[in-house]
Amino acid sequence: MLEELNCETVFTIPIFGGIGVSEAVVVTWVIMAVLVGLSIIFVRNLKVENPGRKQIVLESAVGWASDFFEGIIGKENKRYIPYLITIVLYLGVSNIISLFGFKPPTKDLNVTAALAIMSMFLIEYSGIHKNGVKHWMKHFAKPVPVVAPIMILEIVIRPLSLCMRLFGNVLGAFVIMELLKAIVPVLVPIPFSFYFDIFDGLLQAYVFVFLTALFMNEEQE
Amino acid sequence: MLQLNVNLLFTIINLVVLYLLLKKFLIKPVTDIMEKREKLIADGLNEASSAREEAAKLKVEYEAALTGARDESVKIVEKAQTQAKAEYERIVSEAGVKAGGMLDSAKAQIQLEREQTMKALQSEIAGLAMTAAARIVGEKTENQGNQDIYNQFLEEAGDAHEDTDKH
Repeated sequence: MLEELNCETVFTIPIFGGIGVSEAVVVTWVIMAVLVGLSIIFVRNLKVENPGRKQIVLESAVGWASDFFEGIIGKENKRYIPYLITIVLYLGVSNIISLFGFKPPTKDLNVTAALAIMSMFLIEYSGIHKNGVKHWMKHFAKPVPVVAPIMILEIVIRPLSLCMRLFGNVLGAFVIMELLKAIVPVLVPIPFSFYFDIFDGLLQAYVFVFLTALFMNEEQE
Repeated sequence: MLQLNVNLLFTIINLVVLYLLLKKFLIKPVTDIMEKREKLIADGLNEASSAREEAAKLKVEYEAALTGARDESVKIVEKAQTQAKAEYERIVSEAGVKAGGMLDSAKAQIQLEREQTMKALQSEIAGLAMTAAARIVGEKTENQGNQDIYNQFLEEAGDAHEDTDKH
């Protein structure tokens, strides 16, 4: 049981006294390969006129996602949209990958922390890019200078909350599912799997990018 | 499970690579296609609206031309009518004048002919009278008085005169 919870080291790179590559990283490679492979397959033969059914589905999905993010962060921040789409795809696949027998990489704190750190940099970068360093420095002292420590703390708190929310949800779902499977292995896990593996996983992916976009928007004010 | 290690760095690298790959292979081509289609549609709409504008302009032009043509045709018809009227009047008056002239000349000719006929008749009558007189003088001098002869002659001559006058 506890073994299931551990993030095993799949192999060790034999330099610097051995660098352990965890399962999450390997599963991420698999996800990357699948996503890129599917992209290459589906994006072939795109046509401006008379798109096929495949292309219509693809376009409406990408169009829906970019419209969604554009609605949050605005038209002038279009350049962040590809990153957000990438993250939502990665998280969506990672969170439901336990259906395919892999351990979700988001169950590893390293992955959620990495995502949160990237979100943090993106949030602060978008603020600085939009309003300049000076404005970025000044905005900590608004509306009154007293709140400056809290505002500075917020830089860390926001990604920390993103990281922990995702990690906790996926880990919790994973633990519950493992327990259920251990106790009642037949039929009963199915509805729970729908909720914990699919619904919760997709919801957390959505929440993660939604909050990242929202924080970016906030930071640009 | 709850430890941060070098795998965090690996994940960041993984995510950056995934971002670049997906951007290149998924998002950019799809977005490009969608933008191209949007541009195509916008171009089509622009073209359609400009064509419509041009058509409206041409319509106005044609209508103006048509109105001008109609006015001109009305003018031409009016002009033709006045001309025709003038010509008609001229012809009619000319014809009247000509007919009057012809009538006059005919009258004059008739008069002339009548006069000639009268003259001829008079000379004929005179001849007849002479003959008659001669005959009467020859035959009836003995039987009748001179008074009767004259009366008879005058009667015949008068009748003849009246007859010619009537005709």
